[in-house]
Amino acid sequence: MKRTLLFALGGVLLGGIIHIAVVFLVPYYANNDAWAQMRKFGPDGQFHVLPVPEPGAEPLVSLDPNFVQAVCRFSLADGPVHMQAALPNEFWSVAVFDRRGRNVYSLNDRSAERTRLDLAILTPLQMAQIRQNPPASLDTAVVVELPIDVGFGLLRVFVPDGSLLAAATDALTRANCAAAL
Amino acid sequence: MRLLIDLAVAIVIATVLGFSSAWFAVEHGPWFGALTAGPWTAWPEAGSTDADPYSLAMLARTGEVPLGAGEGLSFTAENDSDGQPLAGRCVYQIVGQTPPARLWTLTAYDAAGRLMVNAASRTGFNSRDILRREDGSFVITVSSRVEPGNWLPIAPVERFKLVFRLYDTPLTTGGRPTDLAMPAIRKGGCT
Repeated sequence: MKRTLLFALGGVLLGGIIHIAVVFLVPYYANNDAWAQMRKFGPDGQFHVLPVPEPGAEPLVSLDPNFVQAVCRFSLADGPVHMQAALPNEFWSVAVFDRRGRNVYSLNDRSAERTRLDLAILTPLQMAQIRQNPPASLDTAVVVELPIDVGFGLLRVFVPDGSLLAAATDALTRANCAAAL
Repeated sequence: MRLLIDLAVAIVIATVLGFSSAWFAVEHGPWFGALTAGPWTAWPEAGSTDADPYSLAMLARTGEVPLGAGEGLSFTAENDSDGQPLAGRCVYQIVGQTPPARLWTLTAYDAAGRLMVNAASRTGFNSRDILRREDGSFVITVSSRVEPGNWLPIAPVERFKLVFRLYDTPLTTGGRPTDLAMPAIRKGGCT
């Protein structure tokens, strides 16, 4: 009896280890995370405007229906990513996420101090290389150094009422996720 | 033989306990870093690079794209100000102060976090389109039936939740305020 109890206690301890292992492994085996869901909107390396969230037709979970959004999955393997967009004079924000959906950078129109999005994302190595000979296109851009290889950007534009939806959607349609450096 | 039985007991306990507790923890989180104000709760770190492993597992399971610190902060309420769960057959009034923010939006979701089909085809309010009293205060009525004034329609579901998103707010950049003024959720009548 005593020995069975000892084995049961061992089982509880092993259960704790399984608990920790499962929690840590979930992100690597999840097949429906934000990154995977974004595949359905179109090819990587360009912005895709998401339909305005409606009951029964939400492009991604928990999006704010007061906003129009555009997403771009990108890779820094072939060089820096340069996002550009001319946006309405309304609240807008951009958030950059890593492969696991962690927010690594975010910016809103007021912190950018303009109605244009001009954001360059570089790895630390690319940053070191570009410092030698910085291109003129980066003079006005917000340049951020992020230690990621792939990720996605989500651009949100506030739509105060339905009459401004078309202008916001139009601006997002022309957003560029692969502007020249 | 006894050794085999004991070993089987240990393995069964380990498997059941390990997997069920992990599932529960990921399904019912996040657990750490909550910022609460009355019935409202936000998890400022849940989607950041400082996120704990449970929050990361949740993100991976739901596919949610959280607001970044430079964008805003999202508060969720599943209970009213008296601690009772929000029920679709009741009428609620949202009154009071909002924290400093350039913009806020209020959206109703069902218990699973999906937008609800409703009679008015309206899914949310924002600080811009709301009707205010002369002193700047406001009342939003949440109900499945038509209401005058700022009516946020919901479906007559068992349970629902409210999400209050603050955009460009000092809450995400400054320290945690000691008195965070969020609106109260007062229950009116139920049918």
